[in-house]
Amino acid sequence: MEVGLLMLGGGIVAGVFGSLLGLGGGILIVPLLTIGFGLPVREAVGISLICVIMTSGASAAVFLERDVANLRLGMLLELFTAIGAVVGGAVAFLIDQRYLAGMLAILMVYVAVTMLRSATRPAAAPAEAVADTAEPLDAAGAASSPASGVPSSATPAAPPGRVPFIDRLSRPGYRVRRLKLGAVGSVGAGILSALLGIGGGVVKVPLMHLLMGVPLRVSTATSNLMIGITASTSAIVYLLRGGIAPYAAGPTAVGVFIGATIGSRSAHRVDLRVLRLLFVVVLLYTAYEMSRQALGQA
Amino acid sequence: MSWVGRSLEGRIARVLTIGTLVAVGLLLVGSVLLLGSGRSPLDSAPALDLGRMWADLATFHPAGALWLGLIVVIATPAARVAAALAGYAVQGEREMAVISGLVLAVIAAGVVAGTLGS
Repeated sequence: MEVGLLMLGGGIVAGVFGSLLGLGGGILIVPLLTIGFGLPVREAVGISLICVIMTSGASAAVFLERDVANLRLGMLLELFTAIGAVVGGAVAFLIDQRYLAGMLAILMVYVAVTMLRSATRPAAAPAEAVADTAEPLDAAGAASSPASGVPSSATPAAPPGRVPFIDRLSRPGYRVRRLKLGAVGSVGAGILSALLGIGGGVVKVPLMHLLMGVPLRVSTATSNLMIGITASTSAIVYLLRGGIAPYAAGPTAVGVFIGATIGSRSAHRVDLRVLRLLFVVVLLYTAYEMSRQALGQA
Repeated sequence: MSWVGRSLEGRIARVLTIGTLVAVGLLLVGSVLLLGSGRSPLDSAPALDLGRMWADLATFHPAGALWLGLIVVIATPAARVAAALAGYAVQGEREMAVISGLVLAVIAAGVVAGTLGS
């Protein structure tokens, strides 16, 4: 009973943190389950994928309703993230779990450094470079001003069939570019997601925003939409290969969902700058612990 | 708003919302049954077996609701793509319908990859 409640509580904390910081909780679940409860890394990755799908499903629905996510672009890129996820899911069962722990430690240090940089910036946008699933749900506005980079849904789109395909992926206010590079990067994001149990937004958001010319908020929302397919494709591989423990997955996933809901409703009451700095400390500590696992010292 | 009157995005959002809520409900029921039965989340659970899953559901064994919840979680994004495929086909957007079909094919490849390795 105690272990179950602790898992539920740990999931809630991960969900709150993830939601407030736009991380989805994926990066926290694997350390929570491996360091906190002694689960093998691969099993923890499988459970983390389940949590990521659930949190992204709930927030992607909101982003779609509010017309923030670019469904067409998301559909195209998730074809490539899904290919990466199948490859990554298969590779994850071939490599030593210590390598997975080491890779996760490196990713945590990267996210911590990125977060530290954005926390020390005066008016940094939330989840700017490290968004893993979504901004807090209530932070996503529908038809915002042009300054925010999100096109108004009231602007009519060109009718399909008369314009080039890439223009049909674009929206008023921005034009999608470098599709091929985006496709290659998406395969990489899918592999990373399958190996480490994260949503892969850490790759997809910068890819769309910096490389493909998609506004940040649209990138974050679209990445969030894609995460469901990316994570579920690799979760299928984990599920069928016995890589998901249902008894541990239940309380953890329910906890993450509750935590993400709490986080999305309390985002406006929290000083995100302080939270980010606290999170950096947590990330660096867990990166240290994961490194010890990678080196066989834990 | 009715299902027919919704935009494609709205219908897909509805699929995601319903799938997620059903999954959370099943996982919650499974977790309550698990903790109520005195089992630990760290105990080994019965392997995934669809025949046994329904029997476990009928007898309130926690593994039944938990396995079904996990399957619903994993299947929800694929259901969203299937809804998009149907929507694009109805709207006559052939390229997007083909892309949606390819995404479903890759998901099916994931099933094959998982089955071959199990």
